[in-house]
Amino acid sequence: MSDGRPAIRIRGLVKPFEKGRINALNGVDLDVYEGEFVAIVGPSGCGKSTLLHLIAALDRPNKGAIEVQGHELRSERRLDHYRSRDVGLVFQLDNLIPSLSASENVQVPMFERPYSAHERKRRAEKLLEQVGLSGKGRSRPPQLSGGERQRVAIARALANDPPLLLADEPTGRLDSASGRRILDLLEDLQKRRNLTIVLVTHEPSVAGRADRIVEMLDGRVMLAAEVPHDRSAVA
Amino acid sequence: MSFLSLVIKNLVRQRVRTALTVLGISIGITTVVALGVVTDSLRATSGEILKLAGADFMVAQEGAADLSFSIVPEDSIPALSEEPGVENAEGMLFHIARVGSNPYFFLIGREHSGLTARPPHLIAGDIWPPDATDGILLGKRAARDLRAGTGDTVAIEDRPFVVSGIYETGRLLEDGGAYAPLDVVQQIAGRSGVVTAVFLSLSPGADPAAVGRSIEEHFPGLASIVEVGDYSEVDQGIQFLDAANLAISVLAVGIGAIGVMNTMIMSVFERTREIGIFRAVGWSGRRILRMIITESLLLCVLAAFVGSALGILATRAILLIDVIRNVLEPQYSTDVFIRSLAVAVIVALAGAAYPAFRAVRLTPMEALRYE
Repeated sequence: MSDGRPAIRIRGLVKPFEKGRINALNGVDLDVYEGEFVAIVGPSGCGKSTLLHLIAALDRPNKGAIEVQGHELRSERRLDHYRSRDVGLVFQLDNLIPSLSASENVQVPMFERPYSAHERKRRAEKLLEQVGLSGKGRSRPPQLSGGERQRVAIARALANDPPLLLADEPTGRLDSASGRRILDLLEDLQKRRNLTIVLVTHEPSVAGRADRIVEMLDGRVMLAAEVPHDRSAVA
Repeated sequence: MSFLSLVIKNLVRQRVRTALTVLGISIGITTVVALGVVTDSLRATSGEILKLAGADFMVAQEGAADLSFSIVPEDSIPALSEEPGVENAEGMLFHIARVGSNPYFFLIGREHSGLTARPPHLIAGDIWPPDATDGILLGKRAARDLRAGTGDTVAIEDRPFVVSGIYETGRLLEDGGAYAPLDVVQQIAGRSGVVTAVFLSLSPGADPAAVGRSIEEHFPGLASIVEVGDYSEVDQGIQFLDAANLAISVLAVGIGAIGVMNTMIMSVFERTREIGIFRAVGWSGRRILRMIITESLLLCVLAAFVGSALGILATRAILLIDVIRNVLEPQYSTDVFIRSLAVAVIVALAGAAYPAFRAVRLTPMEALRYE
């Protein structure tokens, strides 16, 4: 576990669904430290994606406290500001806009920052280069492979230089080789940018690439353990 | 990529729907423009009548449905000329006659003395002799249409006239018509002892509005037409056209807004998941709102341009008809195009309001879960 400051601090988080009949999260406590790569694992329906969505401020919790990068999300009024500046999100499905080119997709989050059109383009090119897609900026998502699309999605998530990257099963729809390259890229970005990464997965081999694995069951954190082995050998 | 290019891409990806929506709105705009041009042209023609023979303004029968129906007794002319500020008063009788293929030949009856004192600009010949009863002055367009020159005989409602001269004023109605002796026109029109309107020239420094008010006080039943805007007092035609124009504008807004709303709501429904992505990457509700409203505005402004172009083409097409060409000279005033743009903007905002509201109300999760 890192000795740094917590980037995410969660206490007693509760999120009910189906009009309160089911608690997707049932009192989650979790700390994630700055620069840490944490994998959240667990069976389907354990609440791992719900937890990620709450950290991403796509939804609000009903009970408990969730503090990310100094923002208390339950009381934060401008969640759009938080989403555009403090967090980058990668989905299982790349969720790119098919009518826009790769470069334009990466530029989408930048509209919320004071960049000129030229600056947006330049930044997007640089980000695509960082994710290994130099020269693919003009390609539209349907012209790219699944792995390439996911790289574009990662570049988009990093568009506004967030300190925190959240990834929801980012390799779930990829073949193993593409998935491995995506994980290599995430590790590389974590090191180069000192990113805090929270990744949700149900694949043990993917989770093994993290610094720490958090196991969830029935809406609770059951175990949080550091990965003991050389993670580069995993996956 | 600029915000505008993103919006344009959104519109371009559904080309057929965008084109059909633009066409639908532009038909409404075409009507607004065409009717506006016709109304303005009629108003301009009316303005020309107002200043006949260099007058400052005219007096006609109050409440006449049409100026040509106005009746002012000839014997009121001397009293009008005695009004303070009035230097001269001349009665004229208008008669719309069928001449050749033109059913709207504008025949103006004038006293020889008045015509001699304030003649139109003669380009050939001269005013008929004082005692002549068959003399006529033809406007340049009328002479061209009738292929008549000085000394030729022309028939107006089966009555022969000898062309004593040809004039040119640059005013459509006057140049397309003719001046003839007042008593002869009264006979042709069957309106003895009356004129259509009295044209007043004022003394230097006299205020037309003040003189007009004084005349209306002293001559009940008469209305002073100092400006084109006063025309409705003696001619309901322009008022009807204005009302029709307003009604069509309101209809265009209503129908157009429904069309735009349909397009935008379909677009928002189809892009619900995309809107969720925009929200997830940090777009504010305000930016989503701006995107949808800008799309709608672009659609409608494009429709305003297309509709304006079609409106101009429509009025040009109307002017290919001889009868209309003789009474209308198209006036493409800026006001008409500003009005069409205003209609387009109202349509855009009204049509985008609900779809934009719906898009902004969606939470990122709701939008991302949408299939």
